Amino acid sequence: MEEPKVELLPPAPGGYDEMLLGDGSVRPHYEAYQEWLRSRSAASMARKRAEADLIFRRTGITFSVYGDESGTERLIPSDVVPRIISAEDWSFLERGLAQRVKAINRFLSDIYNVQDILRAGLIPADQILINDQYQVGMVGVAVPHQTYAHIVGVDMVRHNDGEFYVLEDNLRVPSGVSYMLSNRKMMMRLFPELFQKYSVRPVEHYPSMLLETLNAASLQDRPTVVLLTPGPYNSAYFEHAFLAQQMGVELVEGQDLFVEDGYVYMRTTSGRQRVDVIYRRLDDVFLDPLAFRPDSALGVPGLMAAYRLGNVVISNAIGTGVADDKSIYPYVPDMIRFYLGEEPLLKNVPTYQCRKPDDLAYVLAHLPELVVKEVHGAGGYGMLVGPTSTKEEIEKFREILLHHPEGYIAQPTLSLSTCPTFVEEGVAPRHLDLRPFVLTGREIRIVPGGLTRVALRKGSLVVNSSQGGGTKDTWVVD
Amino acid sequence: MLSRVASNLYWLARYLERAENMARILDVGQLLALVSRGPDYESTAIEPLVITNTLEDFDNAGMARTPENVAAYLAWDDLHGSSIFNCLRASRENARAVRSDITTEMWEDINNTWLQLLQKRHQEQRPADSAFFEWVKERSHLFRGITFATIRRDQPYHFIRLGTFIERADNTARILSVKQHNQARSSTGKKGMSAQPGGKGAEAAAVAGTGRQSQSQGQGAIAGGPPRGHEITDYYRLSAVLRSVSAFEAYRDTYRDAVDESRVAELLIIDPTLPRSLRFCFDEIVRILDVLPDATAKPARRLAATIHAGLAYTDIQDIESRGLAEFLEEFLKETGELGDAVYQAYLELK
Repeated sequence: MEEPKVELLPPAPGGYDEMLLGDGSVRPHYEAYQEWLRSRSAASMARKRAEADLIFRRTGITFSVYGDESGTERLIPSDVVPRIISAEDWSFLERGLAQRVKAINRFLSDIYNVQDILRAGLIPADQILINDQYQVGMVGVAVPHQTYAHIVGVDMVRHNDGEFYVLEDNLRVPSGVSYMLSNRKMMMRLFPELFQKYSVRPVEHYPSMLLETLNAASLQDRPTVVLLTPGPYNSAYFEHAFLAQQMGVELVEGQDLFVEDGYVYMRTTSGRQRVDVIYRRLDDVFLDPLAFRPDSALGVPGLMAAYRLGNVVISNAIGTGVADDKSIYPYVPDMIRFYLGEEPLLKNVPTYQCRKPDDLAYVLAHLPELVVKEVHGAGGYGMLVGPTSTKEEIEKFREILLHHPEGYIAQPTLSLSTCPTFVEEGVAPRHLDLRPFVLTGREIRIVPGGLTRVALRKGSLVVNSSQGGGTKDTWVVD
Repeated sequence: MLSRVASNLYWLARYLERAENMARILDVGQLLALVSRGPDYESTAIEPLVITNTLEDFDNAGMARTPENVAAYLAWDDLHGSSIFNCLRASRENARAVRSDITTEMWEDINNTWLQLLQKRHQEQRPADSAFFEWVKERSHLFRGITFATIRRDQPYHFIRLGTFIERADNTARILSVKQHNQARSSTGKKGMSAQPGGKGAEAAAVAGTGRQSQSQGQGAIAGGPPRGHEITDYYRLSAVLRSVSAFEAYRDTYRDAVDESRVAELLIIDPTLPRSLRFCFDEIVRILDVLPDATAKPARRLAATIHAGLAYTDIQDIESRGLAEFLEEFLKETGELGDAVYQAYLELK
């Protein structure tokens, strides 16, 4: 007997669906996929899904969720339906991302040196100079090639107008690239026939591109690169180990490194060995207990001093966080115009800065329609999504906003496009975002695609893995 | 190679080997209990506790001294640093910390072992039977095979092998010495099994009193050994020793004669061809130390060479004239010191 076919549920009207147009017809770059999907049984999709879970668990691709006492390792669900991006969309995104990251690096170099943008009055000086993320110790430090942010993960969403908007430029220690790579590996294993139907642009060379980027960040000829991790209990440890292995560099913890006479060394079984480039996966404040938090045991005492002497490259540079702060985000389009003399290609989400009295008044009057975010928050914690919140939650936020307006920004609720996703009731539309990874070495390079995160709960707009989100393989097709 | 990584690899191997040996001891212990229902029933049952020096902890847990209880305790106890559960956990934790330095196959295998172990732990009745011990042995064999077949012959490989053979030498000597202990009613105490400095295993071991700190515990814990000259029991006893180190067939091939205490000792101490004999382990250890970086290696190499000479240039008559129990005690002490010397040479974060 033939198994029943998988059920395809239609997207809600008024939204933007990545596969279907408003009239129910299929977008051209999804045609072959939809045809294939229609021929599948629900049971066979479920089996593939179970197989994927098993392989992820066996290979230890797990993630720690803060505040979950029961188990320290959990799987991020990986959906078996890919997110497909047309070549045309991608070429636009590529140009927009390169433009944006280029301007941000110029901005960082500027504010830690001559500060033209402040003198021009484009950004209020106090918003930079007394920002927690602004590292005074970086002023005047000669950063090789003036590149501060070598690795950037830009969070984008597609609104119901069909346009891509940048939500956030992650400039500190963006993570998730291992999921991009694992998802691809998984999809090729589970559905080889699909890769015959489509010419999917490859992403597997990301680790070697990353290594080239890190090598190029140094002024040395053949630098020794290491990846600095907070250790096995960090939520992204799998990714750290994975990237170190793929690049063939040492995965080090703070205790493995030491600084002597201004140089950084690692402790090896044959004595000390010089380190030239540190791809660090921990935040600024943990890097050096002598320069930042004295109670941090994760870092390396004296590292900042060695860095200031130019004897080691830290990637991303210290102090990049000032440019992805949500209070600085509204100025990125101005940066593009100011440094590059170009019009920004990618859109910013209109942002109300609660520190401004007019903006605050507007926000307080429109809380049920807005998304309110902490200026320094990340990971979907400490935010209010107006349209899906209860009256009590909104009133609680109103109180907080009245007391600490400077700590928050607000944005209109974007609709976030949907994409077919395999869930309990069949293949149903779920909201998603996109995080491409932008590498700046000798030139700016972006692997086609990135990490797609998907909100697995029906109607939910929160895609963070810490809040029950999953991931999808992301295809750029020709 | 990073010292921390070397340390993780070394302990990964030690804990895995320890889990395997524990499974061997318990498996044989249960078999033996089936054939010895006599007056030495209890002393047979508690032997695995004596080997790991945790009889007192077991008694404090308030369980009756039956083979089943002992097996369940040593297989699954949370606080016992050398329980199979804790050994496999420590082994996998160490592997996780160095997963970029071992092959994907090795990591997936040990992670898989851990996941299966968790499943078994959540069964209604946690298994502590022959099938379970076989499984532990197989998982250990499998990891060793995968290591052999996939990893480059470079420092990571050598540190894994070093951990394996130091642990194995220690374990074989313990198995032999407890038999000795039992039969000769020697009154000497035994050192607890060494634990990873700062590691999870170390904490658990310290709690359970098997850490370095607790060398004097458990002295004279054996209440009553079996009567000497109990021939039937002796036969099973000695066969059990042989089986626990996979040496029964080797004994038959070598001696083609009845199982005899002195020959068993000869085989397990000085036979250079038996993979679990002390001599074999030290042949390997000396070779491994030779290929590791030599900047700081002298004390460890000297000590290893001394112990090796004591095994290579001796015979069983010589050992017996000095006293087998004393010989083994001295051997365990020196092997412990070798562990410290290796730690100082390569693993310590100075």
